[in-house]
Amino acid sequence: MTTMAHAPTHLSEAASRSKVAIWWFLASEIMLFGGLIASFVISRLGGGAQVDHSQLNVLVAAVNTFILLSSSYTMVEAFACAARGDRRGMRMFLAFTVLGGLAFLGIKAYEYTGEILHGFTPWAGTFWSFYYTMTGLHALHVAIGVIANAALCVGARLGTERPYRVEVAGLYWHFVDIVWIFLFPLVYLS
Amino acid sequence: MNGTTMTRGYVIIWAWLLLLMTLSLFASTLPVSRAAIVTLMFVVAAVKAVLVALHFMHLKLEQWLIYAIAILPVLLVLGLMVALFPDFVLAR
Repeated sequence: MTTMAHAPTHLSEAASRSKVAIWWFLASEIMLFGGLIASFVISRLGGGAQVDHSQLNVLVAAVNTFILLSSSYTMVEAFACAARGDRRGMRMFLAFTVLGGLAFLGIKAYEYTGEILHGFTPWAGTFWSFYYTMTGLHALHVAIGVIANAALCVGARLGTERPYRVEVAGLYWHFVDIVWIFLFPLVYLS
Repeated sequence: MNGTTMTRGYVIIWAWLLLLMTLSLFASTLPVSRAAIVTLMFVVAAVKAVLVALHFMHLKLEQWLIYAIAILPVLLVLGLMVALFPDFVLAR
């Protein structure tokens, strides 16, 4: 990024290495989620894993989609602030991102509770097995992202943050957003 | 690229993402075939994913190595689907 050109050499090198490393990691994540999603799509096209969509809470999932898309925006703003050296702005946008992630997880927990109480457990059928595996794994990734962003937020408070760390955390967070962009129509709308 | 320009660009992308999400929601109520609705939803999802990758993940500013790392697993996943398709769908 532009800012890195002005950073000391060791920080610039760390930024480059970190970026390549996180993209390698994301490549393995694409295979993980891609394999699951591909299996689900093939299963549905083959006549399995069917569901009555009235059993799913589409409105709540749409709210969660709005929250995650918005948190992706606040995350990129946090990086923009970090690149400008605006520590206060970075802290604020990171805090919004963390709040967005927590809201997503809270709403997902509410959704799971309702479904389980209605008998739609992970062993209630092929669709529900896929549903809990895919959305549960995604929620786990959201939780990890929340912890990473919260740590960066604390780091910004203590003055130990580095812009490239916000960028790396942001790449991970946006990837989690992209996974949900596909999961939402796949699971709830199609 | 100064800070103000970046922010305005991000807001525009965010607005597009929300607009496309709304389109996906309304697409499910369109009076067309189910296959057409599902196709439309996935095209919209792909456009949203590309917007996030290019603008929020700054892929449009990256070098070929990062593109290669990102695109190769996507191609492998698509290959997996194509390879499984005849066994699970056509053999029904």
